[in-house]
Formats: sequence, structure tokens, C-alpha cells
Amino acid sequence: MADPDTDFNSGDSGASATYPMQCSALRKNGYVILKGRPCKIVEMSTSKTGKHGHAKVHLVGIDIFTGKKNEDICPSTHNMDVPNVKRQDFQLLGITDGFLSLMKDNGDVKEDLRLPEGDLGKEIVTKFENGEDVLISVLSAMDEECPVAVKPMTK
Amino acid sequence: MMAAVGAPEVISQLESAAKVLMAPPSMVSTEQRQHAEHIFLSFRKSKSPFAVCKHILETSKVDYVLFQAATAIMEAVVREWILLEKSSIESLRTFLLTYVLQRPNLQKYVREQILLAVAVIVKRGSLDKSIDCKGIFHEVSQLISSGNPTVQTLACSILTALLSEFSSSSKTSNIGLSMEFHGSCKRLFQEDALRQIFMLTMEVLQEFSRRENLSAQMSSVFQRYLALANQSTHNVTLKPTESWREALLDTRVMDLFFTVHRKIREDSDMAQDSLQCLAQLASMHGPIFPDESARVSYLAHLVEGLLSMINGIEMEDSEAVGISNIISNLITNFPRSILTALPNELFSSFINCLTMLTCSFGRSAALEEVLDKDDMVYMEAYDKLLESWLTLLQDDEHFPRGCFVQPAVQVFNSYIQCHLAAPDGTRNLDRVTRLHGQLQRHQQQLLASPGPESVDRKVLDDLYEDIHWLILVTGYLLADDPQSETPLIPSEVMEYSINHSTEVDINTTLQILGSPGEKASSIPGCNRTDSVIRLLSAVLRTSEVESRATRASLTELLSPQMGKDIVWFLKRWAKTYLLVDEKLYSQISMPLSMAFGADTEGAQWIVGYLLEKVINNLSVWSSEPELANDTVELLVTLVERRERANIVIQCENWWNLAKQFASRSPPLNLLSSSVQRTLMKALVLGGFAHMDSDTKQQYWTEVLQPLQQRFLNVINQENFQQICQEEEVKREIIATLEALCGIAEATQIDNVAVLFNFLMDFLSNCIGLMEVYRNTPETVNLIIEVFVEVAHKQICYLGEFPSLCNQYYKLITFICEIFPEKIPQLPEELFKSLMFSLELGMTSMSSEVSQLCLEALTPLAEQCAKTQETDTPLFIATRHFLKLVFDMLVLQKHNTEMTVVAGEALYTLVCLHQVEYSELVESLLSSQRDAVIYQRLADAFNKLTASSTPPSMDRKQKVAFLKSLEEFVANVGGLLCVK
Repeated sequence: MADPDTDFNSGDSGASATYPMQCSALRKNGYVILKGRPCKIVEMSTSKTGKHGHAKVHLVGIDIFTGKKNEDICPSTHNMDVPNVKRQDFQLLGITDGFLSLMKDNGDVKEDLRLPEGDLGKEIVTKFENGEDVLISVLSAMDEECPVAVKPMTK
Repeated sequence: MMAAVGAPEVISQLESAAKVLMAPPSMVSTEQRQHAEHIFLSFRKSKSPFAVCKHILETSKVDYVLFQAATAIMEAVVREWILLEKSSIESLRTFLLTYVLQRPNLQKYVREQILLAVAVIVKRGSLDKSIDCKGIFHEVSQLISSGNPTVQTLACSILTALLSEFSSSSKTSNIGLSMEFHGSCKRLFQEDALRQIFMLTMEVLQEFSRRENLSAQMSSVFQRYLALANQSTHNVTLKPTESWREALLDTRVMDLFFTVHRKIREDSDMAQDSLQCLAQLASMHGPIFPDESARVSYLAHLVEGLLSMINGIEMEDSEAVGISNIISNLITNFPRSILTALPNELFSSFINCLTMLTCSFGRSAALEEVLDKDDMVYMEAYDKLLESWLTLLQDDEHFPRGCFVQPAVQVFNSYIQCHLAAPDGTRNLDRVTRLHGQLQRHQQQLLASPGPESVDRKVLDDLYEDIHWLILVTGYLLADDPQSETPLIPSEVMEYSINHSTEVDINTTLQILGSPGEKASSIPGCNRTDSVIRLLSAVLRTSEVESRATRASLTELLSPQMGKDIVWFLKRWAKTYLLVDEKLYSQISMPLSMAFGADTEGAQWIVGYLLEKVINNLSVWSSEPELANDTVELLVTLVERRERANIVIQCENWWNLAKQFASRSPPLNLLSSSVQRTLMKALVLGGFAHMDSDTKQQYWTEVLQPLQQRFLNVINQENFQQICQEEEVKREIIATLEALCGIAEATQIDNVAVLFNFLMDFLSNCIGLMEVYRNTPETVNLIIEVFVEVAHKQICYLGEFPSLCNQYYKLITFICEIFPEKIPQLPEELFKSLMFSLELGMTSMSSEVSQLCLEALTPLAEQCAKTQETDTPLFIATRHFLKLVFDMLVLQKHNTEMTVVAGEALYTLVCLHQVEYSELVESLLSSQRDAVIYQRLADAFNKLTASSTPPSMDRKQKVAFLKSLEEFVANVGGLLCVK
């Protein structure tokens, strides 16, 4: 078995799953890890303890996979972990036993993604059953991935 | 239908409905509640409900039903006014008044509603003079003289109801009458009835002031009276007409209010009302005064009363704001000539009292701040008084010479003292040395016992607070903050420096200036130096202590607030003093000109010092957004004027900064994006300083080219499509886009062509980027932001560069055509700017640009039609564009090519906003006076849409419309374009 650290860091492109960034350089709409979860920053404000105190950053993020809200306050000199977030489109080939068959760029078929629940799942099924050619947008970060959108194929 | 039912049935129906409405939410269903509401609504709308209502009032025991009956009477009286016999209205009014009089224990809200009905009757009656106000005043005055407190309170309630009904403000009842009606009622009322009410109020007050206990009801009567006494509702000062002379100039009136205040001042609510009354009296002006002397004696009486009131009492917290209002009104509304005409002794007592009050409020305000109180009454009062001082001092030449010097010094000193820590009032202002010492002590302490908890910050924080205020005061003293004018050294400062220049040793002054590392007092001859320069050098010394502390790794112990104050001061100072332009002044101080003038060593040294400070701050304080922001702003100040920039670019540090920023490595890449943008802006501005062409070439090679190079390297990689989502790539792209925004921000009239050309290359590439990153909204937004920023900063100049302008609009149109769905998702500000660019391009640029913008409209309108959301900003924007395009096609001359493009846009917009389109046509038609033209136009419009009714986004219909449009334009073109 390989060293777990190395294993954790070896994404498909060879980049690490996260990288550090000073709090002050984070930006709204960017990503950050809050409470161990990859989040999109929806609110970012600074405050200080006392008039002559140093800045603290208040971060509110939405978990990119579960939609859950996470918050954190930290000194603005702090280094925060930022997840490498990737968004890719795959052509939908089929749906089998609640799993999506997606075609990768290199022609391989990817079959490990579950059909999402809720409206998005229904939309995918309807479109597929209507025989529309659709692309599924898949968001991935920290070894987790999840379909987030469906759209018609261009061309 | 209500009338058909017998009164007892109505009552029981209403009473059970009231029960439902009053029940707790859990007990009744929504339907039951709605039904009950409906019963009351239709009851109030029923025809001639007077008999039923009277019956209800006399028999029902349910308060809410009584309330509704009163409301029904009020509404019905107004509704059926012209049908009713005047005598029956009169008897209705008498009935209501008697009813209230006989029932002293009515619920307050029922009583008020009944009296409101009375007031509405009086008001409606006053308009056709059918009801005489005098009758009711006679009754009220009888009530007042009855000697019975309950009855007197009722009289107050009646007056209050009348006042609030007539005041034509938001308090006016909603009884379906026009604003005009309310306005004319108010005017009639003011001319006549108001003074009677005032006299009655005074009677009540006289009556009550003889008593011990006063009711709140009464105090609200005079509050309302004063609100009404104002001629205009917007004006808060008292400007009564001549007819009030007798009533208001009577000294007993003012005395009465002072007496009343003394009696009730311990009740904070009532005290506020009575002080408000006094403040109104203090604001009195206008034709009421027959002449100057009447005004002087009025003011004298007021000031005497005020002084004896203030001196005779221990002030309550709740009085502070009210009293400061009286003083502020008095100073603002009485002209200088009246103030100076006061007897000397009285005037100086007044000024002394004002000084004393100001200092005391200041101290209490500081205390409030320390205690962190929610309600900062003293702060508000203190601000009011300081403003009054400003008003006084602004034209101090009207006053006896020097009469304000002592008080002003006192006020100033107390201001400083309030903000400096104990030991209070110390004259030793060398707190920087103490800070230095304290920091050193902490350093040793830290070395002895590491760990941040071991340091007591109290002493430090006190010092920081003192220095904070000292820097602020110094900054405001030395320089103004002009918004767009050229900043000038304040003439007082200049004069002061000139007057003392004979005693000043220039060399020592320069030595102190150049030695921020040393204590000023350690330099021999330090008291023979220029004070203005010494103030700067004191701040530089503070700055130096700060910088050294950061080098000694004591940043943790420093105050970011103080750091911010320092750069704030330096920026303000540099704008005014650095490279002082002698041409702008009639006389100039030698020391200032020798220290900071053009071509002086002093100026060069300071530029170098400030630059070093900026660089140090950006690396040490990257985590303090505000401080970093103020720091880059200081940098912008250094380069935004050519003369200063010329010195800056000779500094090696500047080039290092440029290179370091271009390399995107720490610490500069840790800065927040807004700071990075401003830094880019500064670097670009610096590039327009004077340098020989080789140097310039080299500079741009180091600043702008790396940006382009890195960008092209990334996007031209063969596998860019595959790696575009990788974090490093995304960061590179985002940094580039941020930098582009910064470059756009650096636009000035003389560099717009160069910068636009440079940006244009990027902008064309950005379109492709949008395609690549269409999945990543944050990147797409940033790209559009670049476009908008370019538009915002450069478009006002672009008219001078037609070809650039065309290119820009081509890109904008392209974005709208390719990504219409992104546009509604833009942040509000961005969206507005983009729409504004489109409108500007359509209306104020060349016809080619105008065409491009019209082309952009069609996909945007189609996007709206697709989503079918009618409340989005884009939908609203398209409505505005409909009118623009309509006017353009119908009212303006244009070429045929334009007709086609505009026609397409118009058609889609019409589909989207059919109602608005019909309205446009209607209003155009209705403005035609000539019947022949009217007919021709009407026919033409009918024909225009005949083939496409109702309009829909169908290609065939659209083509038909365009064809009819050609004919339309030919038919009516000349008709309307004549104007």
C-alpha cells in the first residue's frame, strides 16, 4: 500500500487536492475548506478585536457538494486551505441501475457517478428518455465528485 | 344590504366576527379570519350606516366593534357628504362629542378614533364652509375652563385629533380624498384656526402649569401644535406669518415654555417635547418680526431664559440633545448682526456658557464611548455644538476681534484631552518615544518569556489611542481634503510658517526632517526649527518606530489602526506639500519651499522614504485589508502627478516593486484583489513619468509585457482546453484579469490611446476565454467586469478614437450574442454599467456603433422572452430600450441600414412589452393636433402591426413586420422628424 499522504495528493492531473492561501488573499465566490469541507465563499467580512486589534476574517461558505452552510472566523494572517475545484462536462451515454454512464474526453467511459436525487436527477432522466443529447457538468474536489448541471450539447 | 338587516342582528354578527379576529392564531383558521375581516370591510362600506352605528355605540360592549363603528361613520360621512343634510352632520358631530364626554372610561383607541371622526367632519366641513370651526373651539374652550382634569385631557385629545388631521402629513387619515384637498384644508386651517388652537393650548398650559402634575397627553399637544405651525412641512424651522406677531412675540409665551420645562424636565419624554418647543422658538424667523430691534429683544429674552435655565439646573442626560438643538437653531437662524447687537455682557455670558457646555458634553461623550453605550446622546449633542461653533467661527469677522480665541482654545484642548489617555491633560506630547520604550520593554519581555499571552496590551493600547488622535488632529490641521480641486496649503498654516521663518534655522529643520530615527529633542537647536515641518517629522518618527518594530518581528504588538493613520496622514500630506508648486501661492514660506519644493533634496528624500514605507507595509500588513488599501492609495498619490512620478521612477525600489509584482510571488500576491488592482494602477501610472525612450521601453518591458507574456503562454498551450480547470491555470487567469482591471483604472486623458491598444489585445482573447470558462461563473463575471471597467474608465475618451470605439462595441455585442444567458446573472453594478454602455453607444456614438448596440439588444430581449421572468433587471432594462428604439425609429432621421437593425430590435422588444408599446403609440398619437396627420399616423401604425398581431417570436412574422416597417418609415418618416 502506498503512503496515504502521497495517495491523497495524487489527483488525476498530479496536482494536490488543496493548497494554502493567506486569508487576506481569499476572495468572495472563490473556494476554501471550512470544517474539513470544500466550500464556495459566499460572504467574507473583516472585523477586529478592539480598535487597535488585528483583523479577523469572517467566512461564510456553502459546501459545494451538500449545499450546507459553514462558517469560520480566523486571523487574517492565517493560511487557509483552498481546494482544487474542477468542473468538467461529459456526454451522457446512458443510465444504468441509478448510475450515469459518461464519456470522457479520451473516449473512456466513466460509470462511477450516481444519478443525483431531486430535480436535477429528474431532469437528466427526462432529457435522456426524450432522446436529447446532453452534457453533464461534474464538479470535483478533494476526491469527491458530483453532477451539478445538465445542458444540451452544442453543435 | 346591511340596512336591510335589523340592528341587533348586525351587532351580534359584528361581535362574533370581532371575537374571531381577537382570538389567538391557533384557535381560528385562516378562512375564518378572512371571513371575519370581510364582514367588517363590507360593514364599513354599507350605505348610510349612521343609525346602526349610533345604535352600536350606545349598546355594544365590545371595544373593537365600537372602533369599527366609529371608522364606519368617518368613512361614510366623507363618502356621502353631498347627500347629507348639513343639520344631520352637525347633530352627528354633537352626538360623537357628547358620547365621548359622557364615557370617561372608554378605551383609548376607541376614544381617539371617535375624535378622529369628529376631526374629519370638521375638516371636510371647513372646505365648503358648511361647518364652522369656531363652534368646536368654543366647546373646547369651555371644556378647558371646566377645571376638571379628565375633561381637560379630553379637550387636549380633541385638539390633537384636529392638528394631526390637518397637518397634511402621513398622519392624515386615508379617507379617499385627494392630496390637493388635504393641502387646501391645511392652508385654510393655518390662516385661521391654528392661532385659535394655539391660544387654547396656551390656556391649557397656563392652567396646567399652576398645577403640580402634568399629563403626557398635554405635552404632545404642543408638540403637534409646533409641527403644524410650520408653514412648510419640509422645513423644520419656525417661520410664522405676521398675523402671529401678537401671539408669539409676547414674552409671556416664551416664559411659559421655560416654566413648563422646569416643571416636567424629570420626565424624559415630556422634557424632549418641551425642549423641542423651545428649539422651535429659537428657530423663529421671517415676517413675524416687525424690525431688527424686535428681533434683538426677542433673542435677548430667549438667551436670558436659556442661560438661567442651564445655570439653574443639574442637567439630565435626556436634556443634552434638546438643549444643543436650541443653541444650534439659535445660532443658525439669527443673523450675525442680531447676535452682535445683544448687550455685551449677555453675549459673553452666552459664549462662556456655550464653551462650558461644549467641553462638558465632550467629556461625557468620551465617557459614553468608553462605556460603549448604545445611545450616544452626548456624542450627538457634542456634534451639534461643535457644528454651531463652526457656524460662529466661519464669519468671525463680524464679532469683536479675538472674542472667540480663548473659548476656541478651551474647546480644542478639551477635545484633545478627551481623546488622550491618563494622565489627563499632559502637555508632554512625545508619546512616540514612550511607544518606542514600551515596545522595547515588550521585546525584552518576549525574549524572556515567549508566548503572546504574557504581554499586557493595556499600556500599549492607551498609547496607540493617543497617537491615533494626535495624527488625526495633525492631519486635519495641516491639510484639507479637496475632492477635485488642486489641494493647497491652508493659508493659516502658510502664514504661521512665514511669520516664524526668521527664527528658524533651515539646516537644523532639514536635519530633524531627515532623522526620523532620532528623537527631535536630541538634535541640538531643535526649538529653532519650523513647526509645520516638525509636525510632519513627528509623524515620520512614529512611522519609523513602527517600521523598526516590524523588522524586529513585533508586528503582532503593533496597532493596524495606527498604521492606517500614518499612511492616511502621509497621503494627505503628500497631496498638498510634496513638490509644493510656488506658482499657486501669493507668498510662500522659505522653510516649506526649501524642504519640499521641486528639485530639492528634501523632496527626493521623502519620496524615497515614503516608497520604502509603502513597500514595507505591503509586505508586513498584507493581512490588514484597510491598511493595505490606504497604503496603495499613498502609492497612487505619489505617481498620479507627473512631477512626483518623475522622482519616484528614479528610485531603485520602485523598479524592484514592479518586478516583484510582475513575478506574482509573495508577499505581493497575498494582497487582496482590490489592493492588487490599485497597485497595478499605480505601476501603470508610473510608466507615464518622464523618462528617456530606452528607459521607458525597459519599464514597460518589466511591467506590462510580463503580463501579456504570461497570459499568452497560458492560453496558447495546445492542451489549454484540458488544463484550463487546473487551479494554477485558473489562478493565473484570474490574476491577469484583475491586473487588466487595474490597468483600466489607471486611464487618464493622455494615456488612454496607449492603454486601450494594450488592453484591446486582451479583450479579444477574453471572448475565447468566456467560451472556455462558461462553466465557471466567477471567471466569466470577472471577464465581464474587465469589459465594464474598461468602458467605465475609457469610454468617455473613446469618442476621440473612433476605431478603438468600434472594436470595443464589437466585443460587447459579441458577448451579448454568444452569452445572453450570462448577462442577467451579473452583479447589479456590473449589469448597470453594461446597460449604460449600450445606451451610450446607441445614442451618442457613431452610427456604426449605434448599429452594433442595436444588434446586441435582440439576443438580450430574446433571452428575456425565453426565461419569461418579468421582474428581472434585464426585463426592466429592455422596457427602457423599447422606448429608446421606438423614438429612434419614429422620431429621428437615420439611414436605411439602421432601419433594418433597429427594426429587428424593435420587433423583439415589442413582443416582450406589448402593453408598453401600445402606450407609446397612444401617447404619440394623442400629441398630434392636426387631424390629417393624426389619421395618417394612426393608419400607419395599424398597418405596421397588422401582419403580426399578436406579435410573437416567430421568424415569419418578424420578416413581415420588417417589411411593413420599411413602408411605415417611408410613409411617416417625414411627418414626425420635422421638429
